[in-house]
Amino acid sequence: MDLPLSKRLVGAILFRSKIRQMSAWGDTDTMHGNIECDFPADFGTRLILERLAQVLDPELDESIVDLGFVRSVRADSGHADVTLQLPTSWCAVNFAYLMAEDARRALLEVEGVQYATIRLGEHCAAREIEAAVNNGRSFAEAFPEEGEGDLAALRQAFLRKGFFIRQERLLCELRVAGCSAPEICALRLGEILIEDDLTTIRQPGAAPRKGGQAATLRRYLQRRAELGLDCRDDAQLIIDLEGKPFSADRVQAHYEVTRTMRVALEANSSFCRALMSLRHLADAAPSRREPEEQETCTVRTDTTSL
Amino acid sequence: MYRQDGHDIFVIDGHMHCWDANPENWKNKYGESWIRCFFAYHSALSPAEAVWPFEKFCRYGDEALVEDLFRTGYVDMAILNSTYLYEFYNNGFNSHIQNNVVKAKYPERFLLCGSFDPRDEEAGIETFHRMMGEYPIQGLKLYTAEWRNGSRGWRLNDPWAYKYLELAQAAGIKNIHVHKGPTVYPLSADAFDVHDVDYAATDFPELNFIVEHVGLPRLDDFCWIAAQESNVYAGLSVAMAFVHLRPRYFGEIMANLLFWLGPDKLCFGSDYAIWSPKWLIEKFMAFELPDDLKQEYHLDLTLETKRKILGENVARLYGVDIEAQSAKLQRDGIAISE
Repeated sequence: MDLPLSKRLVGAILFRSKIRQMSAWGDTDTMHGNIECDFPADFGTRLILERLAQVLDPELDESIVDLGFVRSVRADSGHADVTLQLPTSWCAVNFAYLMAEDARRALLEVEGVQYATIRLGEHCAAREIEAAVNNGRSFAEAFPEEGEGDLAALRQAFLRKGFFIRQERLLCELRVAGCSAPEICALRLGEILIEDDLTTIRQPGAAPRKGGQAATLRRYLQRRAELGLDCRDDAQLIIDLEGKPFSADRVQAHYEVTRTMRVALEANSSFCRALMSLRHLADAAPSRREPEEQETCTVRTDTTSL
Repeated sequence: MYRQDGHDIFVIDGHMHCWDANPENWKNKYGESWIRCFFAYHSALSPAEAVWPFEKFCRYGDEALVEDLFRTGYVDMAILNSTYLYEFYNNGFNSHIQNNVVKAKYPERFLLCGSFDPRDEEAGIETFHRMMGEYPIQGLKLYTAEWRNGSRGWRLNDPWAYKYLELAQAAGIKNIHVHKGPTVYPLSADAFDVHDVDYAATDFPELNFIVEHVGLPRLDDFCWIAAQESNVYAGLSVAMAFVHLRPRYFGEIMANLLFWLGPDKLCFGSDYAIWSPKWLIEKFMAFELPDDLKQEYHLDLTLETKRKILGENVARLYGVDIEAQSAKLQRDGIAISE
């Protein structure tokens, strides 16, 4: 990216992100997906936004763009500047750090971006997290008082949990498609194919049949690969975290467990969405805005349990 | 009392507070942060017409509480889940001392929870005995995430916690409400943990452990424990609130709880004043489990189950004779003449 300074901040556009309609939310609570963007006219806007959309809230296992956490994106002369707005000013500091760090890494992977700055808006530990993340300092260095601060283990735990939750969606769709437990257990990766937006099950000696959504399979396979699990065509589709397949008599019980794991996880995403909608409401109607959080709230608030 | 199709349903609100979060009571910035956090949950999940002004939310007082619970909110009895927070509030947030003011006015309406903090060790034993002697304590509310002198929390299976549980049992306590809710600021995954309940429930089989907020967001871990331990119960406050904004998700939570725990271990709670029983109960009674969930989980949320959830299960835990208690409540000046 070789843009003269004079072309800085030209052509502000408003990018409406590809937020899927949260129909489950009911009529009055659709998320607002507006991200303010400020780019040079010939800058690869979409590259940045698409790369950011791959950054996940590690706990909710959803894109920070889909969750509405990306408030603004600005870029000029090789410097990208992104402001995240989490649902509350007291969102967990370790998770906030992870998202900020991941977002910065994502930006630096975009061609033409040499510097990246992440801002955290009204978060209670915004200054500490920004100072650490933007200078490449680890969570443990930034928050030495927070014990071992082992974010890698935390991240891994949620990757593993997310694996089962993604698998649950897949199992659910296969059941709806009429697959029996023995059939599900016998399925191999090479026998379930992505065709447009759907999947098709093709097994030797049987007529092809409908599987489920392509996106469900993609998400599952992506996480499976991230965890270093076998993704070859002859590997079984449904496996545990050790890569072992399930027997037909165990897969139902396994499904019942993962089903509950998914519902548990959705509690936090439901809270986040509800609290996020308050923030958007406050932005839309300043008269209804709640008083600002105290500037000094470096809140070690574990207090936010109900 | 909620009436439906000629049936009376006795309601016990298993989780509510009479708190004082007036600015004069804020000890530091955390006093304000805490109540603003509660207010955000209140505003985000309540129906628009049930959202209060912030000032009222800080301190609503006895009379509003009596009105919201017993006169308009269908509640017959309520459990005061004392919460102390002396590090954030000068006089405490809603200690048993504060809560006992309304309990003393309407003794038949409330079950009062006391508490202990094992980090007080030996020094706390006398305080505990004094609390048990001087106040009509019928259950305990334990708050493992509470701060104390630099400590960020404790576990139910800490040795001193076991000592206090023994003392409580000797003093005739049967029911222990344990806060395991949506901790929004966990610095380690441990902060979410509900596994200490498993140890305590096994080691104190005579006590009942009502896990408030069903461990959300660790509903899964809670379910595994509650399915295994016959003395672990689900306190539904917080989960209830989804019935308005996300009814289908509420259905999924209920289906999972019924699937793992069955209908006899689920206990209604409003978490008043975060949410009000009137709308929670009206929406809960009008709620039906979607057909696909009934089929998926092979169960239903019947009127009989709702009756258990709203009152019968907690009545059993506390030995409340619903018929006799209803007769008493007719005479306490709150009862609505119909």
